[in-house]
Amino acid sequence: MRPRTSGLSLQAAVALLAAAVLGWPLIFRGPYPQHIMILILLNALLGTAWNILGGFAGQISLGQAIFFGAGAYTSTLLAQHAEISPWIGLVAGALVAIVIAIAIGGPCFRLSGHYFAIATIALGEIAAIAVTNWDYAGGAVGLFLPVEGTGLAQMKFDDKRGYHYVICALLVLALAVTVWLRGARAGYYWRAIREDQAAARSAGVPATRYKLLAISISAALTAMAGTFYAQYVLFIDPPSVLPLSLSIQICLVAVLGGAGTLLGPLLGAAVLVPLSAATSVLLGGSGRSLDLVVYGALIMVIAVFEPSGLVGLWRRISATVSRN
Amino acid sequence: MNFAQALASGLLTGFVYALIAAGLTLIFGVMEIVNFAHGEFLMLSMYLSYFFHASLHLDPLVALPLNALALFALGVIVYFALIRRVLKAPMLAQVFATFGLGVFLQNLAQFFWRPDFRTLGDTWVSGKRIAPFGVFVGGPQLAAAIGAVVTTWLLWWLLARTSIGRALLATAEDKQAAALMGIDPDRMFALAWGIGAACVGVAGALLSTFHYVFPQVGSQFALIAFVAVALGGFGSVLGAFAGGIAIGVVESLAGVFIQPALKNLFVFAIYVLVVLVRPRGLLGKQ
Amino acid sequence: MILLAVASEIVIGAVYPLSGNLAKVGTDIKDAVELAAEIVNDDVDLPVPLGKGKGLPGVGGARVRVVFADHQSSPEKGLSEAERLITQEHVVALIGSYNSNVTATASQAAERLKIPFLNETSTSPLLTARGFKWFFRTTPTDDEFSDNFFKFLKTRKGVKRVALMYENTLFGSDVSRFEKRYAEKYGYEVVADVAYDAKSTNLTSEIQRLKSASPEVLLQTSYTSDAILSTKTMKDLDFRPQAILAMDAGHVASEFVPALGKDAEGIISREVWALGLGAKKPIVARVNDLFRKRTQASRGAPVDMDGTSARAFVGFLVLCEAINRAGSTEPEKIRAALEATNISAEALIMPWQGVKFDPKTHQNALGSGILVQIQDGKYVVVYPFELAQAEVRWPLAAWK
Repeated sequence: MRPRTSGLSLQAAVALLAAAVLGWPLIFRGPYPQHIMILILLNALLGTAWNILGGFAGQISLGQAIFFGAGAYTSTLLAQHAEISPWIGLVAGALVAIVIAIAIGGPCFRLSGHYFAIATIALGEIAAIAVTNWDYAGGAVGLFLPVEGTGLAQMKFDDKRGYHYVICALLVLALAVTVWLRGARAGYYWRAIREDQAAARSAGVPATRYKLLAISISAALTAMAGTFYAQYVLFIDPPSVLPLSLSIQICLVAVLGGAGTLLGPLLGAAVLVPLSAATSVLLGGSGRSLDLVVYGALIMVIAVFEPSGLVGLWRRISATVSRN
Repeated sequence: MNFAQALASGLLTGFVYALIAAGLTLIFGVMEIVNFAHGEFLMLSMYLSYFFHASLHLDPLVALPLNALALFALGVIVYFALIRRVLKAPMLAQVFATFGLGVFLQNLAQFFWRPDFRTLGDTWVSGKRIAPFGVFVGGPQLAAAIGAVVTTWLLWWLLARTSIGRALLATAEDKQAAALMGIDPDRMFALAWGIGAACVGVAGALLSTFHYVFPQVGSQFALIAFVAVALGGFGSVLGAFAGGIAIGVVESLAGVFIQPALKNLFVFAIYVLVVLVRPRGLLGKQ
Repeated sequence: MILLAVASEIVIGAVYPLSGNLAKVGTDIKDAVELAAEIVNDDVDLPVPLGKGKGLPGVGGARVRVVFADHQSSPEKGLSEAERLITQEHVVALIGSYNSNVTATASQAAERLKIPFLNETSTSPLLTARGFKWFFRTTPTDDEFSDNFFKFLKTRKGVKRVALMYENTLFGSDVSRFEKRYAEKYGYEVVADVAYDAKSTNLTSEIQRLKSASPEVLLQTSYTSDAILSTKTMKDLDFRPQAILAMDAGHVASEFVPALGKDAEGIISREVWALGLGAKKPIVARVNDLFRKRTQASRGAPVDMDGTSARAFVGFLVLCEAINRAGSTEPEKIRAALEATNISAEALIMPWQGVKFDPKTHQNALGSGILVQIQDGKYVVVYPFELAQAEVRWPLAAWK
């Protein structure tokens, strides 16, 4: 899968992109463009985490919000009840998510295709309903984090640059894990499972174990994003961290970008987030939801014309550029 | 008495869920595509009933065939304009083509008709009620349940007893073999979309006699229909019927005897439990 | 030092749910805020703040312009849209955001960026308990409203058993907490406590539970769709308590009575406002006429004001009045002016004693609620008795 395009070399593109992303909050001082970039990076992280499970291992999850919520709630509850630093909460949230992931994956990996996807939707809804009725976790009211007490140790910053670099670091971690596993034995096994699970099993691939590995890593990274979100917005409740729409959006980012590729989720986030922000700024104030009409139409257009994701378009453009 | 009432209410709702699910499962059975815009089809049909009633004074039960026809046409149009273009695309692209269509239709409805909640007011069945053995049954709900059962039965009859139905089933079984037998898969796919949409068109007309209409009305029904389809087994009309009824009853019993706020939790939990025992649903091919 | 050029236009940001499930409410509010801005900008002969004369005389006759943003009921979008309005559109103050949880995050942005935030329609008591410096609220809260219910119930002899039914997001569960607290305080027995999911497509099991508990009075907290659905289901299952006391929202939404017709008859709701107040306050009817004209133009059919649009209308005027007194667009001066706000009852279309913010919490200390009852298809003020247009009709008539 490693794209050995004769076009823009991957390294050059990555270096350029990395420089642009790192320099972004220094160039754009206003909180709004900084916020948009943070949202892009957050979605890229979520898409990358989904991609490990859905893109590489081929298990379509529409319940990623469970893990996102697990991260957000674990770190916030630890901070509220025991004054534990969100950095420890970040790790604890990832561990909780791994436990949940294994509890889900163990039984549910026996299901194939749509049955697995619908099962993840069902589990996601169960989680949302359960937390809504769970008073210790704030129930429907949600949990507030105090606005004051900023600093790196509290993963809470007065200006957005701090958040920007934290989410950058988490995204780099997710990408590094992806690159590493993709080239390692896990990556080959995952591809074998995705293409034909029965054949993979008969060739001696321990399919269940490697699918559990995929869902655990995906869950842990998604939970970290959840902790970050809680620290960033300072308020969580079930509709904001556990909704089905979030699970679908995560999948959308990866799929429209290009499932099963390293760049796909990044591209998906880089296109979808500004697109949705722009349509909502230009058309959202009308109260007639023209923004979402346009958004829905664009999703259809991409699905029809670039069914394997925007990454295909990107490759064609970069090939053309290098040919000239 | 409480139990009988809860069971009756659950069954009445379940029949309507079953009809919505039947249309969804037919499309899936024939071409393995899940229509994520199914809820929006339902919403459009309900608006249709509303406008028939408000401007032409047509009772939704009288206008019901018109709903079915209109939605049939919509299904065919959607097939030719959108679905045919993603037939060979990866499964996820197909999912998002229909998901995008759903977002598009829902918000287009809001653009044209505004987000107001609309109700039809007086129809033939509204305000009527029977109470056999102390169990209360609303007229609209009863009419909807009967309509849903009849329509699902018609669908089953069409598939099992007519040549069109056999051609559809043959296409579902094996596209190439069907093509060799002179069945044009393209036409069959279009037909499946038409009939699937017509089913939800009927469901919309039946629901409109007692349920309000607004642009987002389809989402929750669609989610339940997905679960009903998967619970019954993808592609099985009888499975979807059983799934819909099971969900209606579980929802009602859990709401009365356990905890209303948790009733949907039990619906989803039942699905997960069933597929753990039968990975392809109640009536799917195991 | 150069004198700052006086701004000829003052930009105010408004963050509301303009799409999604609550889009209907959002568009009502939008029309109300736009009407208020028009009254400020044009010379209108109304005894409301800034009615007469054009623009804000205190700021050199500057006109106000409102920039709307859509938060789609998402706390994260509320936060980012508030930030965008402040930093990109350079608004001098914000107003919003209906949903209490979105108001929570949007006002955090304002607090951080030091811009006044006026909240007119969110009733969660938590919001003013945060002690924010830049946050002001004109509307009374669910705490006061719940208290009001039981004060009213005390005037009815023989009522002992109440049941609660509420949607289980922030709004409903928050309200239920206060209702339970006051039920205990005033000595009522809660015989059923039914939380439900507002997204439910049917509510039969919820109503069945209520029916088997046979309460004398039902305290209900619902949004629009579930308020309509639950009332229909009550009729289907023949559930009829002596009275239903509803917590605003869905039960006073403009489509509630049209959707249910006779079946809505007799339901009592807490309100912050009612057209019927016009009987004692002529200004109410005049503002409502303007609102009907405006909605006729913008949507093709006239819509009456309701408690939500009236509060948005008043909230916006309170904000403009403070900016006018501040004589400046400097946030700190506007904040100070808001703290010094003291508007009398006569200048409001509300049943309040006025607007004056508590120095600590910035909650309007002079607000209060009313109870309305649907009588012959209209919302009629029945409590407090000094503002009442008619006697309470009690109990509810049996279903036919």
